[in-house]
Amino acid sequence: MAYRNRSRAEGSFQLNLTPLLDVVLQLITFFMMLIHFGTKIEGAAAEVKLPTAPSALPGGDLGLDRLVVTLDAKGRLIAEGRRFEDSSATTWWADQARKRRVGLGSIGRKDEELPTLVVVRADKAVAFGAVRGLMATAQQQGFARFTLIVLRGPQP
Amino acid sequence: MTTREGRLRSKQGESAEEIQFPVTPMLDMAFQLLAFFILTFQSPTAESRLDLYLPTIPIALPGSPAGQARTTPPRRSELDLENDLKIRAEADDLGDLKSLKLGDSLLPDIDALGDRLRRYAAILDGKPLRVRISADDRLRYEVAARIMGICNVVGVASIRLADPGDAGSSRTGP
Repeated sequence: MAYRNRSRAEGSFQLNLTPLLDVVLQLITFFMMLIHFGTKIEGAAAEVKLPTAPSALPGGDLGLDRLVVTLDAKGRLIAEGRRFEDSSATTWWADQARKRRVGLGSIGRKDEELPTLVVVRADKAVAFGAVRGLMATAQQQGFARFTLIVLRGPQP
Repeated sequence: MTTREGRLRSKQGESAEEIQFPVTPMLDMAFQLLAFFILTFQSPTAESRLDLYLPTIPIALPGSPAGQARTTPPRRSELDLENDLKIRAEADDLGDLKSLKLGDSLLPDIDALGDRLRRYAAILDGKPLRVRISADDRLRYEVAARIMGICNVVGVASIRLADPGDAGSSRTGP
């Protein structure tokens, strides 16, 4: 009230921006503390609902050599933006393994077992047989390292 | 700032020149920063992962037709496969869990698996605990993931997946 009277007397109106600035700086600090870049696991699709499972491992740090595949609720493989049925999925796995073997061969490595990490995002409603079948197909092509993406659930 | 301003005024009087700190450019910049952080904000992900190592040695390959196994001498890891603790999960027609066995002992529910595995780990006293999970193909992946998650949490060193029809060797639960 006193401020208003004084302002009128001086003939100018000054909006006090200091509290606003304080709040904005508080918000900036909040977001700065929470910011993290690039930790989202790739290959997320809205149509795939992940299962909930107790797990001790965080989602990040998956390494550079990885192959992300998704399995929808009907058990179809989705990779590189394409859907694969049974026979074409086997061909795709063989093709991926061949490409990696060529790459490894160029640096003088002839490992039977591929070092690539296969990241599997499978829908929670899919039959386990489909997930096991996917891993078995990949395993037969030489992929040995798998990681199943789940939502973190309560510890048993 | 207002208090300091008031003091200044009381000392110098109303007629003295008022010192104004230009807050507006700073506020503009602060809003820019705020917009940047809001737009790039990602809520912490609840995603987690379960690591599996499925060796490509012939004995570990699922569903290998008879006669296709290579004639390589057995390695230590192959012999170890025979000593894994076996978890058997059977599903009903809807894909829900019908029964769960650890070795030959029937477990009342999925939560009991964690307790039993912890007891096994205590008995092994630091030695790596390995399990083979044999689950029906029609079992929902959510249930299977939970079983694998429990194994992961209790510190199972190695999880392998077996064919549902694979008899394999098994141990009796504690």
